[in-house]
Amino acid sequence: MASVLPVIFILAIVLGLMACSRLFVPKGPHQTTIRTAVMLTLASCYLMWMVTYMAQLHPLISKSRNSLLRFY
Amino acid sequence: MGDDYPTLFRSEQMSLMQFLIPTEVAHDTVAELGELGNVQFKDLNPAVNPFQRSFVGEIRRTEEMARRVRFFESQIQKEKDVVPIRPLYDSASLVTVGPSAAHNIDELDVTLAAHETRLVQMNDSYKTLSERTRELVEARHVLRETAVFFEKAETQQTDIRTSFDDSSAPLLQHDDREQQYLSTVQFDLEFVAGTIDRTRISTFERVLWRVLRGNLYMNHTDITEPFIDPATGAETRKNVFIIFAHGDALLAKIRKVAESMGATLYPIDANADKRSDSLREVTARLEDLETVLYNTGVNRRSELVRIGEHLARWQDVVRKEKAIYETMNLFNYDVRRKTLVAEGWVPTRDLTMIHMALRHATEESGTSVVPILQELRTSKTPPTFTRTNKFTEGFQTIMDAYGIATYQEVNPGLFAIVTFPFLFAVMFGDIGHGLIILFAALYMIFQEKKWARQELDEIVGQFFYGRYIILLMGMFSVYTGLMYNDIFSKSLHIWHSGWDFLEAGSNGVSYALSNGHIYPFGVDPAWHGADNGLVFTNSYKMKMSVVLGVIHMTFALCLQLPNHIKFKRPLDIYANFIPQMIFLQSIFGYLVVCILYKWSIDWSTRDTEPPSLLNMLIAMILSPGKVDATAQLYRGQGFIQVVLLLLAVVCVPWMLCMKPYFQWKEMQKIQGQGYVGLGHRNGGPRESTDEVLEIEEEGNGRVIVEEMEEEHEQHDFSEVVIHQIIHTIEFCLGCISHTASYLRLWALSLAHAQLSEVLWSMTIEKFLGLSGIFGTIALVMVVVFWFSATVFILCIMEGLSAFLHALRLHWVEANSKHYQGEGYSFAPLSFAKLDEKE
Repeated sequence: MASVLPVIFILAIVLGLMACSRLFVPKGPHQTTIRTAVMLTLASCYLMWMVTYMAQLHPLISKSRNSLLRFY
Repeated sequence: MGDDYPTLFRSEQMSLMQFLIPTEVAHDTVAELGELGNVQFKDLNPAVNPFQRSFVGEIRRTEEMARRVRFFESQIQKEKDVVPIRPLYDSASLVTVGPSAAHNIDELDVTLAAHETRLVQMNDSYKTLSERTRELVEARHVLRETAVFFEKAETQQTDIRTSFDDSSAPLLQHDDREQQYLSTVQFDLEFVAGTIDRTRISTFERVLWRVLRGNLYMNHTDITEPFIDPATGAETRKNVFIIFAHGDALLAKIRKVAESMGATLYPIDANADKRSDSLREVTARLEDLETVLYNTGVNRRSELVRIGEHLARWQDVVRKEKAIYETMNLFNYDVRRKTLVAEGWVPTRDLTMIHMALRHATEESGTSVVPILQELRTSKTPPTFTRTNKFTEGFQTIMDAYGIATYQEVNPGLFAIVTFPFLFAVMFGDIGHGLIILFAALYMIFQEKKWARQELDEIVGQFFYGRYIILLMGMFSVYTGLMYNDIFSKSLHIWHSGWDFLEAGSNGVSYALSNGHIYPFGVDPAWHGADNGLVFTNSYKMKMSVVLGVIHMTFALCLQLPNHIKFKRPLDIYANFIPQMIFLQSIFGYLVVCILYKWSIDWSTRDTEPPSLLNMLIAMILSPGKVDATAQLYRGQGFIQVVLLLLAVVCVPWMLCMKPYFQWKEMQKIQGQGYVGLGHRNGGPRESTDEVLEIEEEGNGRVIVEEMEEEHEQHDFSEVVIHQIIHTIEFCLGCISHTASYLRLWALSLAHAQLSEVLWSMTIEKFLGLSGIFGTIALVMVVVFWFSATVFILCIMEGLSAFLHALRLHWVEANSKHYQGEGYSFAPLSFAKLDEKE
């Protein structure tokens, strides 16, 4: 059923992954770069997925025909 | 973050070092530091004319050598058959440091001079020989053609002779006998023979006719082969002419006119035997000349080939030497201790490397005196140096193009590594197109080593420089393509769709009903091809653009915080950062929350219609507190909106007044303590410019030259106020305009999707149904056309467009929230970079 729970669930997973990357990227000349890149990637990909998912959560169905998909 | 490793987050810490270099080691030390590429030397003799500097002589010598090397290069390039130049990594090396260095350079100078004189000599003789060949060829043509004239005239002569027989006079008969004796003299006429340009021949004829009043007989023929000018390679076509006239005056006139028209005259004998003699002589000389010419050509070519073996190495050596001496000109010569004093910026992290390099240099040169390194304390801003590798270089460059970061401020290039390709991909989203540019990037990366050595074309070079950017752009585009569910304008049907199709109605219209299932990853494929698909997609993409935009701007705003903390500006946190954040969030953060909230509600269970968010926002500002009960998003909306609006309104005077007020109070305090503001920064160290004193106090480590051009902030109160007003207005208006500006994410992705769909439906779709061999061939051709249009229009053109817009978003919308960008970049003496400068 359409609910907001998956959004929150995936958010938790992504936050967990971000924390992992902060802790587990090996020290080295590129640590900052890799860490920042991984965290930003996770964040931006999650954002886009979340927006896409939520946009389709409750499609504007009502009794009027206009809101159904129309195919010619 | 520890200081063990360099990070991209801030620029590196730099220290100003003073080098005390004994003169003997100077050249080698600078060479070693140049190879290292880590020191940016300061000019310690700014007032000295370039022609009066100490090493002008050496520079002149290297310039001369460089000129010779350039001359060789141009000569080699002019050759029609390619002369191979041995590449640098393959060339024999030339030792330029150490005790034998000076000897090697002198030898090089002599070799270059010798090569040059030889080459110039050969060029000159080649030219003279070609000229003479040309003349002889013309002479040969003239001889041949005049022979033809004379033969023709001889046959005609007998005809003419017979017609005069009636009015025979003793004189003529006398002449007749003479004619038989001297067979070739006709009519006692003399002639002028020569060659002239074909374009001029008609003018020549007409001029002669007018000048001589028709008292001439002229004949001319074309020379079939054109003459090629050896210097320019231009072809000229010439004609041979022979003019018969009698009388010395006339002949003199003819000669003058011919010379003025640029004709070349040749002495032709009337006697046929003498003519054939000259012909033979000319042919013999021509053959000799051609042999000599050929030999000269071969010699010249072998000389060039020999030069080509070493040319790359010579270029390299000459360039380095010039750079070394120019750098040494920046140093200050301490007469008493016979050392050169140099100052330069060095990244603090690299100090040990510099020490080692100096020691290495002294070992190479064979002396035992090591240059001394001292750190100086200064109040001048160091240059901004960000250590990049081949991956991060591209991203850093595109962010630096907006402005070099101030020393040690937060570097936006670090975050651009991900945010830039991501925003690009939001505008580009298509799996197929993303894969195309991904493969293009991968190809370039696999060919990296080979292409790095080649001289790349300007455009290809640009793409190659940004190959890692393109790689990331491609990867993110595949992801956003998956999100938009768009592959070459078709959609993928991986999971269960959330819409079930009903039977088509009587008018051919079919409807789809939602079945409550949500497509888990991306846009539902049922929207593809739907009549009102755009209605949904537009709403979705616009709202996504606003959400992404506000989050990006918030992130950029937060980057102010590390800057304020590092540079110890707590006032800025309270006076700038906090009101800005509150202003942004209370209006646009609220909008984002509303968007997400509106999406999360099932409107079919509510009595109210879903309100338009845009109208809601406008109403919030224009008529605060009044929310229509039928159009409200949630209960208590009116009250909350009033609170938020008040917060935003309060932030404006907060931003306007707080910082100037506190700065004014500080100024009062300092003035009260008796310091008079002289236009210098209050409390800043004043350094003396007494050079002798500086060097005396060796242990003091003061800066030798104080550059008074550095700007100090004026603490006129009016300036502060004006600055803050501008800043406030810019931020507040900017908030609104920048948020709207992010809608380009929607606009470009819409354009891209539509373009892709049109391309498909106009090309391949029309040819899919055709059958038979003709149909298949047509289909193949159309597919080829479709693919090339995809690559050129959709990938390259749209790609460049999305690149530009994503870059603009970074430069204007994001950077204006935190970036100062007032630094100057670190430009070390680096032999590796000399190559790029050329």
